[in-house]
Amino acid sequence: MSDRRMEEQKVGEIQRELKQRESWERDMWDLLPSTDEAREKIWGRSRTFAGDVWFRFRRKPTAIFGLVLILAMVLFAFLGPFFTPYRYSEQNLDLVNIPPRMRVFSSGDSPLLTITESLRIVTVNQDGTLGRQLRAVREEEKMKMIIFDLDGTEVGLFYGVRPYLCADPETHVIYDQKTVWNRSFLFGTDSLGRDVLTRLMYGTRVSLMVAFIAVTVNLVIGILYGGISGYAGGMVDAVMMRIVDIISTIPLTLYVILIMVLMGSGLASIITALGTTYWVEMARVVRGQVLSLKSQDFVLAARTIGSSGKTILLEHLIPNAMGSILVTVTMLIPSAIFMEAFLGYLGIGLQSPLASLGTMCNDATENLRTCPYQLFIPALMIVLIMFGFNFIGDGLRDALDPKLKK
Amino acid sequence: MAYIAKRIGMMLLALFIIILLTFVIEHSIPGGPFTSDRKVSKEVEEALEEKYHLNDPLPKQFLDYLTGILHGDFGPSYKYTGREVSEFIGEGFPLSAKLGGITVLFVLLASIPMGILAAVKNGKWQDMLVMTLATFGVTIPSFVIASILIYVFSFRLGVFPSFGLDSWKGYILPVITLGGYSLSYLARQMRSSLLEVMGMDYIRTARAKGLTEVQVIFRHALRNALIPLVTVLGPTIANLLTGSFVVEQIFALPGLGVYFVNSVSQRDYTTIMGVTIFYAAFLLAMVFLVDVFYVLIDPRIKFD
Repeated sequence: MSDRRMEEQKVGEIQRELKQRESWERDMWDLLPSTDEAREKIWGRSRTFAGDVWFRFRRKPTAIFGLVLILAMVLFAFLGPFFTPYRYSEQNLDLVNIPPRMRVFSSGDSPLLTITESLRIVTVNQDGTLGRQLRAVREEEKMKMIIFDLDGTEVGLFYGVRPYLCADPETHVIYDQKTVWNRSFLFGTDSLGRDVLTRLMYGTRVSLMVAFIAVTVNLVIGILYGGISGYAGGMVDAVMMRIVDIISTIPLTLYVILIMVLMGSGLASIITALGTTYWVEMARVVRGQVLSLKSQDFVLAARTIGSSGKTILLEHLIPNAMGSILVTVTMLIPSAIFMEAFLGYLGIGLQSPLASLGTMCNDATENLRTCPYQLFIPALMIVLIMFGFNFIGDGLRDALDPKLKK
Repeated sequence: MAYIAKRIGMMLLALFIIILLTFVIEHSIPGGPFTSDRKVSKEVEEALEEKYHLNDPLPKQFLDYLTGILHGDFGPSYKYTGREVSEFIGEGFPLSAKLGGITVLFVLLASIPMGILAAVKNGKWQDMLVMTLATFGVTIPSFVIASILIYVFSFRLGVFPSFGLDSWKGYILPVITLGGYSLSYLARQMRSSLLEVMGMDYIRTARAKGLTEVQVIFRHALRNALIPLVTVLGPTIANLLTGSFVVEQIFALPGLGVYFVNSVSQRDYTTIMGVTIFYAAFLLAMVFLVDVFYVLIDPRIKFD
């Protein structure tokens, strides 16, 4: 009984206190006049469609990772060349096939020496930069040695075993070996003595550019074709979709190759070949979206106020289908990059000295056994780009899917 | 039956368009196939054109080519005198088909169990492992996979040969390279379709009846989960059987793909055309067969 009274007392106290506080607050703050208009207004900032997608996109770590990866690649490809002292076509036949991590020899007081694949000795400075090439004096065929002149002393290159060794031509003592990082060419040089890092930047740039342009061409053809087919409907739609059905049964890889053969190799023909073959997928996606959107009320409203078919299609329907179009684009880019690399690898892509990731891989297969880094570096780049775009595509698809909205 | 007739009609139409397209592309090259840097006398050029019927009007050439194809004759090779394109196909295809057949078996035997494992252990480490492998398989280009395999297993470890098919060991690297993409793709497909089926009501019923998990999965869930897999099987099998250019090129296997790539680099137009049409026809036939098979195994789908 007393408990209850105490409780009531407490409640009363709290109520009194609240009232007091309210009156204080009223004294401190003037109330604004409350109007109907103010009550109707939504005070929270409304999120745009793009903002909404971004909000869900950034929750996915893999998607953000992919985005960062691609941005890094773009920076690397477009800003990188400003920071390298070499040109992608600059050959240096003295410094051929030098790996990023070099085996160097030293006989104590002599400078560090490294052996190139073309049986030459190059001096290496203490900081890892390359010095000059030594002059060959004579060859001792019996000993399987080439003798070089190093500031008056003789150095022998023993080519009887692989990997080659540096030894003293008199005593046959093998010099001390260790490995150092190549500071002149961070990723080494290729079989023509070109800097792999610089070529990688240009190659990435070419691959990205080819992919973007080809996909843009696809986008335009696909959107127009699919949009018209979906919006027109009826006979037009049926005929246009039968054509798409037939095209999609054609093995496209073969046609890309066929077009390449006919147009000759070069950047323009790669872009034409890729741009004119892969729009079918896009056309299907756009048609499906347009079909489901065109029966909605906003289209009816647009038609009522007298908008032309063109306006409705381009200004109302296509922007609303942008989500799925975007996902298809991010999925198309890796396949374009893959196709370009594939053509380069088959040797019908770009012509030397231009570099793309595929042609770099192709050039590297000849000396895969001795210089695997020449293949692995561009291959890793391709893989990273493919991963990046796939992750972005997955993230976008989830972000745009209204079923997953919370 | 009407469905099958319609599909066959569509297929023939597609094939006709493919042949027409290839023919038009080939004949739109400026200059004839014998135009070269070396100046040939007018008589020689005319004699060559006469021999290969290149002075006929184009529609007649096309009709001749079409009737030739119907008789299995893809015309003579422009680069190797006295050789027929159909000979190249006859020489290259058996090897491609054999390698492809082994790869199809490998892909099916590996991808379905992998997909099932990933779906059953959904979210556990087995799932993560299978999905990571599958992501790698789908994203890494086949020539990169092949080069890495050759470098590691042939050059470094020396376990498998880097070219040729002399013993069973020679098959291992090409089969993995060729099947890598399809394997990953099918495993992912299998996993997602099994997961979808496992959430259905009839699976709960089966569990409620007191069936063991193995019975539920293999007798009830798997049958329905396999159906979406069959759809993608057609193009997959066709691609594997006709061989991949890259795999045959890298492992130096004299299959159809190598003939194609060689004819591309030598600009041997009739061979390019012939092999393209052969590939396309094969692909169409496989897709058609799988579509019919699809309807046969799933009674819910009607021919229509």
